[in-house]
Amino acid sequence: MRKMESEYEPLLPVENKLIWYTFGVGVVLLVLLVVVSRAFM
Amino acid sequence: MATLVEAPVKHAPPSPKETAFEGPPPGISEDWLAVCLGLFVFVLSLGLLFGKDILGWAITTSVWTTPAKALAPASKSYTGLSPLVSLLGTFVFLLVILSIGAKALHANVKRFAAGFTVVFALSYLCWFIGSWAYIAATPDKRPALKIPWSLNLTNESGFIIALLAGLVIGNFLPGVSRFLKEATRPELYIKTAIVILGGFLGIAALEQRALATSVMFRGACAIVEAYLIYWPIVYFVSRRYFGFSREWAAPLASGISICGVSAAIATGSAIKARPVVPIMVSSLVVIFAVVELIFLPFLAQHFLYGQPMVAGAWMGLAVKTDGAAVASGAITDSLIRAKALAVSGIAYQANWIMGVSTTVKVFIDIFIGVWAFILAWVWSAKIEHRQGEKVKASQIWQRFPKFILGYVATFFIVLAIGAAIPALVPKIKASMGQANVFRALFFVMTFFAIGILSNFRKLWQEGIAKLAGVYVLCLFGYIIWIGLFISWLFFHGVLPPVVKG
Repeated sequence: MRKMESEYEPLLPVENKLIWYTFGVGVVLLVLLVVVSRAFM
Repeated sequence: MATLVEAPVKHAPPSPKETAFEGPPPGISEDWLAVCLGLFVFVLSLGLLFGKDILGWAITTSVWTTPAKALAPASKSYTGLSPLVSLLGTFVFLLVILSIGAKALHANVKRFAAGFTVVFALSYLCWFIGSWAYIAATPDKRPALKIPWSLNLTNESGFIIALLAGLVIGNFLPGVSRFLKEATRPELYIKTAIVILGGFLGIAALEQRALATSVMFRGACAIVEAYLIYWPIVYFVSRRYFGFSREWAAPLASGISICGVSAAIATGSAIKARPVVPIMVSSLVVIFAVVELIFLPFLAQHFLYGQPMVAGAWMGLAVKTDGAAVASGAITDSLIRAKALAVSGIAYQANWIMGVSTTVKVFIDIFIGVWAFILAWVWSAKIEHRQGEKVKASQIWQRFPKFILGYVATFFIVLAIGAAIPALVPKIKASMGQANVFRALFFVMTFFAIGILSNFRKLWQEGIAKLAGVYVLCLFGYIIWIGLFISWLFFHGVLPPVVKG
């Protein structure tokens, strides 16, 4: 637990990409799936 | 199941050898054991299809006002059997098969048998108490039971009583906890129950195929939410605002978003975190799952009794361990059916709400291995590249929760037999009713065991406050409410079938 607090690691560009691309894909997929479930189920 | 254990805190950067998890422990895994046990009970129950009532002696517990009338064998073929003999037989059957399982796990069989005797006895006692009419009876049953009032909690209140009993033992009776340790295996019990549950849900799917297909599709959508919407936000919050290192943030994000224990451990292994990291995260997830288990079903009953499938999906999305999610679904199922009957006079068929919770949770679990593989690749290729290290696709299978194979097997076997020979459907229903006796017993033992493992005091002593801070903020500030919103989007207006007659 002390290592977690004492050694701050700034967010890397690749981490930012992982976070925001994943979230973006998730939101787009979610909208698509809602449309499909409403249209076909 | 993760336990709260002391682990050394290291200050030097971890080397690859000391960060990676060791391979699986010797002996069969709990996942495969759950498959074997669940399939064994399932196959025995199918004896009815061939005219052999193999499990009809198992004990059932009715809602009671007179204790002597509460217990009876599951099948009318065994009416002459004394209820106490039936109860003893049920205990001995479970003791034998689980002791063989303990041997296969390379556990201490004597300690397991001794501990399991107490676990079964106390769990069953809680189930019995929860079936007392003044606690369990729904309004429509009060006249027949000749009681003027009841708490309307259904006999599944026995689960909550078992949880509370386990919490008392786990937090105030450390000597008893240690004695029961070998038999305190909530993951084994719930996974065995889920394998058996597959057959039970297969019957439901057989009778309502369009609804079942719809539930499965919508349940699959939960994968998108857990992995692609929850995970990145939790990771961002823990890295950016709480200052967690990558080693802590990734398992924490997986534990909070996906499935507490399995996902935290798989992620920890994928990114080569020290073993202490996923163990601490898993312990925290179990504690909060217990808190959710106590409150969320009652919240769901109060606000969502008109949208029961939304409530079921919400449990699967918001509660972050297999045991607690399915257990929450079971309690929510009972509470909402009771309230819908009391308020609107609508009698929904049992187990659809729990089925939604289970389906959602199972679909989320399926992709743990895939997600661990993706993270392993991102970490090794982009973040912490180490010479000579390769990410293997075989990790996906290693991390796949094997008990789901048992669940799928029992589901499709029932579906296939019923679809091929419709005349057998009544016998299949009776078979699954008998298997369900054991499913309920495994459920109540799960609740009891979860309670024992939830040692709040020890967790606090481990210095887990900051980790808990992230957890509280993300779970209660974001995950629960987004989960409710998405459950509403997909399940609003979808209702379980109503009981005929």
